[in-house]
Amino acid sequence: MAEASDRALEARPTVRVVVVDDHSIFRSGLKADLADSIEVVGEAHDVESAVRVVTDVAPDVVLLDVHLPGLAVPAGTTGGAEVIRRAAPSVPGTRFLALSVSDKAEDVVGVIRAGARGYITKGSSGADVSRAVHAVAGGDAVFSPKLAGFVLDAFGAAVGETAAASDELDRLSAREQEVMRLIARGYAYKEVAAELFISTKTVETHVSAVLRKLQLSSRHELTAWANARRLL
Amino acid sequence: METSGAARAADAPGPDVPAGSGVPAAGAGSTASADGTAEAAPTLPSERRMTRPRACVATGVSAGLAEHLGWPVWIVRTAFIVASLAAGAGLLLYLWLWALTPWAPGDERPSRSAPVAWILIAASTVCLVPVWLTQASGPGYVAAVGTWFGPTLAGIGAAVAAGAWATFIDRAESIRGPRHELTIRIAATAMLSVTVLVFVVVLGQSTTTTKTFGAAFTALAALVGIALVFAPTLIAQWRDLTAERTRRIREEERSEIAAHLHDSVLQTLALIQNRAGATSEVARIARAQERELRDWLFAGDAPLDSNLATDLRDYGGALEIDYPVTFDVVVVGESRERASGELAAAAREAMLNAARHAGGEVSVYVESSPESVEVFVRDRGPGFALADVPGDRLGVRQSIIGRMRRVGGSGEVRPGAGGVGTEVRLRYPAERVGSENGRG
Repeated sequence: MAEASDRALEARPTVRVVVVDDHSIFRSGLKADLADSIEVVGEAHDVESAVRVVTDVAPDVVLLDVHLPGLAVPAGTTGGAEVIRRAAPSVPGTRFLALSVSDKAEDVVGVIRAGARGYITKGSSGADVSRAVHAVAGGDAVFSPKLAGFVLDAFGAAVGETAAASDELDRLSAREQEVMRLIARGYAYKEVAAELFISTKTVETHVSAVLRKLQLSSRHELTAWANARRLL
Repeated sequence: METSGAARAADAPGPDVPAGSGVPAAGAGSTASADGTAEAAPTLPSERRMTRPRACVATGVSAGLAEHLGWPVWIVRTAFIVASLAAGAGLLLYLWLWALTPWAPGDERPSRSAPVAWILIAASTVCLVPVWLTQASGPGYVAAVGTWFGPTLAGIGAAVAAGAWATFIDRAESIRGPRHELTIRIAATAMLSVTVLVFVVVLGQSTTTTKTFGAAFTALAALVGIALVFAPTLIAQWRDLTAERTRRIREEERSEIAAHLHDSVLQTLALIQNRAGATSEVARIARAQERELRDWLFAGDAPLDSNLATDLRDYGGALEIDYPVTFDVVVVGESRERASGELAAAAREAMLNAARHAGGEVSVYVESSPESVEVFVRDRGPGFALADVPGDRLGVRQSIIGRMRRVGGSGEVRPGAGGVGTEVRLRYPAERVGSENGRG
């Protein structure tokens, strides 16, 4: 499976990426690890420089550290979320992928709700990050098993809450729950598709719908859960 | 007498603590135990240690002494009053006995039937009101110092004593009500404030040096009295404030350290794992270190009680050190299951198998719903078919599937999605969780 997707990576068009992280070692390490199909066109180390670089370069994808130092970051939010809030309006074509070392639910959910298209941990391998960058560049959402688990919890799936209408923002549909469960069990999108006898594209649609709900839902438990469970 | 004696005595700090080992009666007590007749003749007053009854009027000194001597209580009280007239000898004896006599053995808190604090306020009123009236009897009139100095100081002393009694002794007694302490303090402050005012006026009207000094001293004494009445509260509040400040400083320091470690060490550990390859030894060590650091950083947040989720996380962490494997444990729902249950044992067995035979990245998913608890362990190893395993190999059949069946759940081993690796699925009905917890 890994070779197959690596071959797939080769075939894709080059993705222009800006790496935002306050640790230069991490930036250089990540740059060296990314696949050839990913071109790093800019780097930034804090909120201000990130906003400047992103608006100047308008990359396809921003790899964004959740915990980013910055001068005017309001309390209760993170530097990563702040970058998205400030930069996203001027670069509508750019998508943000959050990188986090902390796994703290409130931070990760905060950056997702600010508009990030996905979240991966910093421990992920270069190949994983490359795959995630391509997925996000293609308009898909990237869910780690932990984020999927958090979503199931936050939307009350474990206690049997299911959306009655497909446009309901505060609960997941039965299908979305199935997809999230499989992702939480460590399935890749393709495996989820095979398991549920649907196409990979449909899986991606479901995941994007869940991401939208996560961003737009006013469900108060989201915050409550995030606070109660620091580890995502 | 008992109460008026106490009224003058209550200035003494903390007399409630039974100091020493009952000095007045110690000789008798030790004699009794020395000749071994203590149990045989415990009722003889002369061989009994003097104690103060726990249910007393004010201090229990008179009652204790009366019982000890075999006299009626009123005689003891009269004796104290008469002896007090002899240069205060009775008062001194009373205070001495109060300080040194222990409470009678027992578990209940000492209770006092006399409202001592109010009696002290009354005594203070009796002392102070005539002085105020005399001083205010005519414009510009100041009585001779000798006529008011003593009573005023006694009144001030009684007011302060009332405050102290309410704070240190009555506080422990619930029968006085929650507002008792505050009421007494307000009454004592009122007495003292009026005294200050009266003597400030007197100070302005004084014509002789003696009167000026006397009035100034008295006003000052009353001011100090007010301070003493409020001192216990102020000290308590100051202590709370200091404790709160210390706590906040510690908290700030801790979060600063956490933030620093988060920005430096955790990032570096993540980078090491990233660069060294997920299952290399270096990465595993870095991962274990990261987990340890996280546990320390967020120690206050983790539940101390071990449940299924925390147990599997810990077990995964231990396996990562011994095998080239990383566990990604995802938990959904409130985990009610205990770590000691059969489900946990089967899940640990599945994780061990995955670590031994598959390695690499292993996903563990725990979901607790109202109907059941489910555990999925999924690896991407070479795969495994139950039918291929010889019947004499007990691992999977017995310790996973058989174990789950025996306790009323179900276990299933099947190839992972897309034919890659193995997935173990364990299910345990929720209604059994409670009973198993009872056993475990």
